[in-house]
Amino acid sequence: MGLRERLAGRRVLVTGVTGFMGEALLERLLSDFPETSVVALVRPRGSHGGAARLARMMRKPAFRALREQVGAAGLAELLARRVQVIEGDLASVPDLPGDIDVVVHCAGEVSFDPPIDDAFRINVGGLQELVRALRAGGARPHLVHVSTAYVAGLRSGHIAEGPLSHDVDWRVEQAFAGRVREQIEDASRSPENSERFRRAGRRRFAAAGAQTVSGEAERLRREWVARRLVAAGGERAQVLGWTDAYTFTKALGERWLEEHHGDLPLTVIRPSIIESALVRPFPGWIEGFKMAEPLIIAYGRGELPDFPASPDAVVDIIPIDLVVNATLAAAATVPPVDAPAYYTVCSGFRNPLRFWELYEHVREYFLADPLPQRGRGAIGVPQWPFAGAAAAEARLRRSERVVGAAGRVLSAVPASSMRVRQVAGQLERAQARVAFLRRYSDVYRAYTKAELVYVDDATAALHASMEPADQVDFGFDPTSIDWEHYLCRVHCPAVTAVLRRPRAAAAPRRLSGHLPAGEGVLAVFDLDGAVASASVVESYLWMRLADLGGLGRVRELAGLAAALPGYARAERRDRGHLMRAVYARYAGVDPEELSRLVAQAAGEVLLRRVRPAGIRRVREHRAAGHRTVLLTGALEAVTAPLAPLFDDVVAARLEVGADGLCTGRLASSPLVGDARAAFVAHHARVVGADLAVSWAYADSQSDLPLLRAVGNPVAVNPDVALLQVARGASWPVEEWSVAPGSRLVVASRRERVVQAAAARAQAAVAGRVGGVR
Amino acid sequence: MRPGFVLEVDERTPPLLVHQGDGVLLERFPVGSRVVYPPLPRPGIGAVEAAVDAALSAPVGSAPLASLLRPGMRLVLVVSDAGVPSPRMRGTDVRARLIERVLSVVAAAGVDDVRLVVATGLGRRRSAAEVAALVGERVFRSFWPGALACHDAFDEANLVEVGTSGAGEVLRVARPVAEADLVVSVEVVQDAGAGGLAGLAAGVGAYGSLRAVHGVAAAMRDAAGWFAVPDSPAVSAAGTAAAAAEAVSTSAGSRGVADRLGAVLAGAVPVFAVTATVNAAVGPAAAGFLTRREWEWSLPDQAMALAAGRGLDRLGGWARRRVWQETTADYAVTSVGAGEVTAVTAAAWAEVDAGQRVAVEGQSDVLVVGSAPFGAHHGSGPGDAVLGVHGALAEVLGRHTGRPVVREHGAMIVYHPMAARFSQVHQPSYVDFYAEVLAESHDPATIEAKFERQYATDPWYESLYRSSLALPGVHPFHRWYETAPGRAYLGEVVVVGGDRAVCARLGVRAASTLADALEIVSGSVGRDPSITYLHSPPRLVADVR
Repeated sequence: MGLRERLAGRRVLVTGVTGFMGEALLERLLSDFPETSVVALVRPRGSHGGAARLARMMRKPAFRALREQVGAAGLAELLARRVQVIEGDLASVPDLPGDIDVVVHCAGEVSFDPPIDDAFRINVGGLQELVRALRAGGARPHLVHVSTAYVAGLRSGHIAEGPLSHDVDWRVEQAFAGRVREQIEDASRSPENSERFRRAGRRRFAAAGAQTVSGEAERLRREWVARRLVAAGGERAQVLGWTDAYTFTKALGERWLEEHHGDLPLTVIRPSIIESALVRPFPGWIEGFKMAEPLIIAYGRGELPDFPASPDAVVDIIPIDLVVNATLAAAATVPPVDAPAYYTVCSGFRNPLRFWELYEHVREYFLADPLPQRGRGAIGVPQWPFAGAAAAEARLRRSERVVGAAGRVLSAVPASSMRVRQVAGQLERAQARVAFLRRYSDVYRAYTKAELVYVDDATAALHASMEPADQVDFGFDPTSIDWEHYLCRVHCPAVTAVLRRPRAAAAPRRLSGHLPAGEGVLAVFDLDGAVASASVVESYLWMRLADLGGLGRVRELAGLAAALPGYARAERRDRGHLMRAVYARYAGVDPEELSRLVAQAAGEVLLRRVRPAGIRRVREHRAAGHRTVLLTGALEAVTAPLAPLFDDVVAARLEVGADGLCTGRLASSPLVGDARAAFVAHHARVVGADLAVSWAYADSQSDLPLLRAVGNPVAVNPDVALLQVARGASWPVEEWSVAPGSRLVVASRRERVVQAAAARAQAAVAGRVGGVR
Repeated sequence: MRPGFVLEVDERTPPLLVHQGDGVLLERFPVGSRVVYPPLPRPGIGAVEAAVDAALSAPVGSAPLASLLRPGMRLVLVVSDAGVPSPRMRGTDVRARLIERVLSVVAAAGVDDVRLVVATGLGRRRSAAEVAALVGERVFRSFWPGALACHDAFDEANLVEVGTSGAGEVLRVARPVAEADLVVSVEVVQDAGAGGLAGLAAGVGAYGSLRAVHGVAAAMRDAAGWFAVPDSPAVSAAGTAAAAAEAVSTSAGSRGVADRLGAVLAGAVPVFAVTATVNAAVGPAAAGFLTRREWEWSLPDQAMALAAGRGLDRLGGWARRRVWQETTADYAVTSVGAGEVTAVTAAAWAEVDAGQRVAVEGQSDVLVVGSAPFGAHHGSGPGDAVLGVHGALAEVLGRHTGRPVVREHGAMIVYHPMAARFSQVHQPSYVDFYAEVLAESHDPATIEAKFERQYATDPWYESLYRSSLALPGVHPFHRWYETAPGRAYLGEVVVVGGDRAVCARLGVRAASTLADALEIVSGSVGRDPSITYLHSPPRLVADVR
């Protein structure tokens, strides 16, 4: 009897139908098994119910052939007629119909490093819940459980198809996994850890104010919890002899089934690494990136100089359609209740693909058909030396150290120039590359080192038992795979297709001239650094320089040079401190005299140092009807020349004593960090503006709260800390240059020293990363 | 005094001095090129004060100044702007000496309602220090800031209508001038045709009144005589459609308008003029190589020329500009005149013209010019790109007696760095003009129609003009319009040493050497064109026959 006939009239429950395997299975059932009906357990997501998700799925490429055959309307009708959708997920499965004949359980947590509680909840708990719901509905179906070949864990040699021999108690492990999140959450709130997070937050965002620091500390805590949960899973798995939490929980799931399937016939399918389709639904069909694709693409981009794998290790890859066919054949073959069936679907035993062959084929593919680099011809691919895991690991360690050190140096740079920002950008890319290498070398180590051979005799027998016609239509014989054909003609082209698609050049992101006009919009500008290239230290200098001449100027410069390190420290700690330190020097100055000085000379100096692009942007905002606000730590008197550009100017005011002279103190607290955000929020209420459509321009991390407060933040000549945040949040980053010749005061010595150090660090990074590449 | 002459380059001709904006270089010209040398600077008159006194007591076409004065009258001294002469005069400006003599006569006559207005017109208002250098320390201390101020062409509250010309142009001028019983115009004349009554009206007039002087169409009409067919499509295409419909006559040109406005002013207020003319100096007396002829250079001259060329190269751009910004010239005062304004001005013009005129035989295919590091509009060092184009296409090209040195559709080769670098303080509107206006079009007529109003009424430029020594927002527009005749007349303009991106935006071409520039223009003027190099500065006026 053919496979079609054996499954005719059956009702098949498929879980995980929206996943890679489930989708392929559903497509096959709908296309080739007209007499078989399907029950799909679908988790509603967002506003889409289960049925809607399934209907949307029909538009995907996997169903293209079927869609073309019966038409879109026909497909919808087919779906309605043959598929019963049950909404629910594995955490709480609703009662299932009593007439289900076969269950194919494809749903699972497939990430290698899930948090331990998620892994157990889905891969063990989900199974328990599914069987409970089946029993509750009264069905007695054939259970086909899709597991993985790697449940064998850290073993070597030949692995037979059958129950795994281990004595790990799933009850203990599952109970632990249930408790561990709470424990880790508690630990993350311990005083020691809280202090650690707060310190790290302060180190990064001290200047931005307490709100930003505590926000960062909380984010770090959450990250830490997530990391710990992942580590708890990975470490527990390895200590018990598995590669990771995924294979560990899958293995415990199998064990639970073996103990609890009771009167349900049980079949366990253990595929190895599932990759793109060989024939069905069409050659090369793949959804998302699985295991090897990121590596293939990184290699094709020339970013993978070597890999810590031994060249003769077997990479056990199996095309998805072979797994689906084997699953269908297994589903049609009901084993005795007391003798569960095990089928390993893999290629490693009968048609092994060694790592060096994989490398050769992929390399051959990219040599014949290199990836395009937009506007720069084709990308060349490296030749791997296969220097061995130890050497590759050592090199990776070195790169990590260099990148880490360069990052620390860079984050200590106080001032930001275009050069520093370029270095920061390069470093970011280097960091991303190193992190990528680290992740994949960790994940794959187990899979490429394992000297395991999965024996698939049962699967071969199952294949042989099929009718010759079915062996053609529903075959799953791994010896039928021609690796060169599969890799060079099917898999790599499918994986790289998206990168080869001609992309329209990204429209240059140009804000200028395209500001939407509107009422109730604020445009807040930070003067120092963004609109003008001045810091408060320099503004102090201008003021006094205008006043003094000759010897006095020399002495003043010397005094300031001596005080500069202190100022720089203050700036790192807190901008408010810096302003107080600088303005203390105004003690005893006549405010009238100050205004006169500004009108005479300092005004000209300020205008000389204004960034033309900044002024233009302010004017564009005004032209668009926005309300412009200048926020600055500089003295109000200094900003007078710019006053006509702004509707509101918020600047520092000096306190005037009883004698009519400045006391050297500020009349009110300087507006920095969080205070700026609070001020802007208040100001928006007063003038009736909507912050969600407002703009803010600033250059330093101390303005983070301000930038976060508005809907359209723009980082202008940002310092490194702000640059990183801006990149992460994809805020526009703009370079506004000053007109040349306007730099009155040369960069401070400290600034120059640090810049030189950053340049050296960059050279070192370039050398190392270049070497890795 | 040695007159100017035309040299024909032969094998023995040494490399010749060429100004390139903020640098100088020695360039070898192709054999057969003509080089037009201006007359050597004339010697000055000895005792300036005595000459002023003599002129005041025996004025031309007018009663002596003393007899025009009576106690209780309102007297206004209009001091011509510091843009002339350029470069600045070293030491005390001659105007200060003229003013001192005038004020001593005024004091003797018992006139105590005296005000001074610096006639900055549509240029930039001067800082206190600049005004002090202009009028002298003593006068500055007594009058600043109450009775001595720079003109404000945009201050509607202080602009008063004084009359309407026959053509319907309304003249509004600064209130003190309008309300004066007598205006004494104190002026330095460096160019024939500049200043005089027209210059006086332009110096104290309102922007609204002066607009007609500066339009594209007016500039084109001024230059109608250059073209073989005055109302050829080239002329009318550059003007507006309406302007083309009008009869092409010089009276509608900017000079005609300015003259009429001057006449209106003279009709409303009596004007007594005191002028001084200066010779064609370029720099300090010590830097004689700037005016001497290369084959007559002494050893020190040669050393200085070499040092200047190399030294300026070595200096960074900023320091280089500073050097030129600080440069002042040792002028000699060549004549002093006083009396009825038209007659005095005519005499002054004749005097400077005689010191600058050179006879040139016929037009050539290619005109080569250097770029002076100074100019009337260069507030802050040598010219930026916009003023560079203006200097070549409007100023140098226009210095002739009726026919340009280069033929119609000929080529002009200019030496200029063409950097998009503008003074933040003096030229805020230039920055935006370059970034916004020129990015859209470099056609003067299009720019006039589309952008001028917006820039003229921009409150930010106005505030900078009033309080921060900035040129008014429309300043780059007017300079750009003045290049319209040159653009229509010339077939090609190539800038040697110009930044390529900037040149493209300005609508000219860039070349790295003279040879390359000649190669570029060979398409339109052939491989063996006639070449004329204007060896200027010092300024010269070509009398092409």
